[in-house]
Amino acid sequence: MVARFLKLKLRLLGNLFRRSPWQIFGLVVGFSYGVGTAVAAAAGLIALRLAPVELARDVVVSAGSLIVLGFLLVPLVFGADDTLDPRSFSLFGIPTSKLSLGLAAAALIGVPALAITLVAIAQVVTWTRDAGTVLVALISMVLIVATCILGARVTTSIAALLLSSRRAREVTGLTSLLVLSAIAPLVALAVTVDWAKDGLRVLNGLAGVLAFTPLGAVWAAPAAAAGGNAGLAILFLFIAAAFLAVLWFAWSFVVSRMLVTPERVSRERPHAGLGWFGLVPGNQAGAIAARSLSYWGRDARYRASLVIVPVIPAVMMAALYPAGVPFHVLVLLPVPIMCFFIAWSTVHNDVAFDNTAIWLHVASNIRGWADRLGRIVPPLLLGIFVIALGTPLTVWGYGSADVAPALIGMSSCVLLVGLGLSSVISAAFPYPAVHPGAGPFAQPQSSAGGASWVQGLSFFAVLGISIPSVWLAVLALQRGGGYSVAALLVGLAIGLAAIIAGVYFGGKVFERRGPELLAFTARY
Amino acid sequence: MGFSLDTVDHVQNADSILAKFDALIEKLHDESAEEKRTVQAEVKKKQKKAKAEAAEKAVVLRVEGLSKQFGETKAVDEISLEVSTGTVQGIVGPNGAGKTTTLSMICGLLRPDEGKVFVDGMDVWANPAAAKRQMGVLPDRLRLFDRLTGNQLLYYAGILRDLPPQTVRERIVQLSRTFGFEDALPRLVADYSAGMVKKIALAAALIHSPKLLVLDEPFESVDPVSASAIIEVLGNYVKAGGTVVLSSHSMELIERMCDSVAIIVDGKVLVSGTVDEVRGAGRLEDKFIEVVGGKGAVEDLEWLHDFSS
Repeated sequence: MVARFLKLKLRLLGNLFRRSPWQIFGLVVGFSYGVGTAVAAAAGLIALRLAPVELARDVVVSAGSLIVLGFLLVPLVFGADDTLDPRSFSLFGIPTSKLSLGLAAAALIGVPALAITLVAIAQVVTWTRDAGTVLVALISMVLIVATCILGARVTTSIAALLLSSRRAREVTGLTSLLVLSAIAPLVALAVTVDWAKDGLRVLNGLAGVLAFTPLGAVWAAPAAAAGGNAGLAILFLFIAAAFLAVLWFAWSFVVSRMLVTPERVSRERPHAGLGWFGLVPGNQAGAIAARSLSYWGRDARYRASLVIVPVIPAVMMAALYPAGVPFHVLVLLPVPIMCFFIAWSTVHNDVAFDNTAIWLHVASNIRGWADRLGRIVPPLLLGIFVIALGTPLTVWGYGSADVAPALIGMSSCVLLVGLGLSSVISAAFPYPAVHPGAGPFAQPQSSAGGASWVQGLSFFAVLGISIPSVWLAVLALQRGGGYSVAALLVGLAIGLAAIIAGVYFGGKVFERRGPELLAFTARY
Repeated sequence: MGFSLDTVDHVQNADSILAKFDALIEKLHDESAEEKRTVQAEVKKKQKKAKAEAAEKAVVLRVEGLSKQFGETKAVDEISLEVSTGTVQGIVGPNGAGKTTTLSMICGLLRPDEGKVFVDGMDVWANPAAAKRQMGVLPDRLRLFDRLTGNQLLYYAGILRDLPPQTVRERIVQLSRTFGFEDALPRLVADYSAGMVKKIALAAALIHSPKLLVLDEPFESVDPVSASAIIEVLGNYVKAGGTVVLSSHSMELIERMCDSVAIIVDGKVLVSGTVDEVRGAGRLEDKFIEVVGGKGAVEDLEWLHDFSS
């Protein structure tokens, strides 16, 4: 039975490569990334062979705990692949014990398992100091791999079990976003610790605590053995083994529960009336705008692409302030940067977001420009809102109203150019997107290979076209006066030209390529 | 006796003359009947010709040599079809025969490799704007904008067809009453059952009162009550001069609804004609299985009768 599951997993992995070259390229990149990280970690562990026991212990336990935590949490936050979801096997009548063993074993095949195995073997090398220690390290090695893989399976399945309804999935997606945004300052804090001076002390304290937790015990056992404390080593191994046992029982329990729990069906509150549709003009562009607005409100995928909008200026300011950039200059950054990301990161793959539902536009033979115009309405409104609200705040932070025209000019320019370019790009170069109804962080089955160049090119194209306005805004900052008004006028002129051209040419492309766009979305 | 003999002679003469007259009259009758028949036949011929010409003019959908290749497989191989106004054309075939591919190319959703499609005389692929305006489409296995409520989706479909908002609102009320989804209108389409999704998609296809309806599996997972409502709506639509092209796996429904039917296997039309022509003496289902060649291939799965313990 176990062999059967292993074969199935191997076949699934093999089938990943029966795709288009771009997708295979993406897979290879992902694979190299995973294995590369593991090799780097393994190299570090091997290097620690020469370090004193104390130091090696602190580093291994801290980093190791982080790895275990990662295996436990990453599936919860990002949602993991559920190609071997226990529910898929519910109709085969396989005994639960066999099924849970088989699925757990199958999880041992894959890039994450390969990576953690490399690391686990490397930590044996770290502790090749005497026979007893090596023995303990070997036991740890097995426990590490089993704990990480089983832990990931458990949390993946719990996530799948609890988050099976669409509503729950979307809510969780957003919660995890908030968690991630909250972690960002923590990471920033960690970066500010003067590691050169206090690093070892911090690490030592951390490792001391973590060693007694299920996360760190498995890594701490060989270290204790190397330090000559056999009793402590056995205690650590015991903690690790107990944790593994708990995971195993949890896993068996989850599998047996999943086999009898069908996917949840959710009921939602009714939405009376036409919503946005009642507020817009009753023509094609208006209806498409209302549809986009409804989706921005209801579909977590759109919100997911908006989350980075406030994060990026915050990170930039946090990074630049310690570098000595004065505060009154920093406050000029958020509005244009937010406008840039509102315009660039939201709608440049809008057609792919619709997936095959786009047939309705193709079958109705709608006017291309109406489709393009309707789709950019939500980000346009949002951008205008940011400019309207952000400009007075910026002026207040900067301490002078002179900067306002240049700021408005540059922000509008970036916003309008971004939307204009997105209008062409989403019709001409769609790339696979998360399917409607999937978690916002679920990755489409295909690679990002085709996506990255579209994203990169459009990113620099927006910046390139906006250069005159940005340059004038910088001159306005240095010299003031007429340059500020010039930045406003030039920015608006470039922006309006770009958005009109984008909607027009994007519409032409959309009309011409309608069936091809539908065929593209049907492939993924 | 002379008198009597004379009389007999006369009578005999008169009899023969009368018989001659009778023969003549009969001959005349025959001739007139013949003439009448030829005249009638000529009239009939003329009528038939006029009817055929009218039918020729009233072909609302003409498909010529449509072909589509996916990789190595030829999904649709030179399919030609003609559908007259006011008729229902059924398309049947086993799974994977190319029905959906054919219908997608007819309604302008999938670009054919070769061949032409004319709707009301307009080339779908050369003049999509005019041709698509005449068509209502119900695709199979494509998503809807399911984050909209039923109400919003129908409104969206109507506005995209350039109908005035007030008209759309009125038609939504009527359509939802006919198909029985009034209560579902305020809910998101994502939360509908499969049959409900079909019904609302069909309503969206009807909303702009097209000349031609292209329906891919309109009855799949639809309950019997709704199915008969759909059949009635389509029947009235056809009576009023509308035309329907539909695919289905239900031979019973095809027999009930369609005027003509085409059996597609491996991307080719194997049999086509009126339903009576195609089915012959038996049922359509038997003819279908005979054409597709299914029955011979069924092996007796003896192990299936020894139930596993």
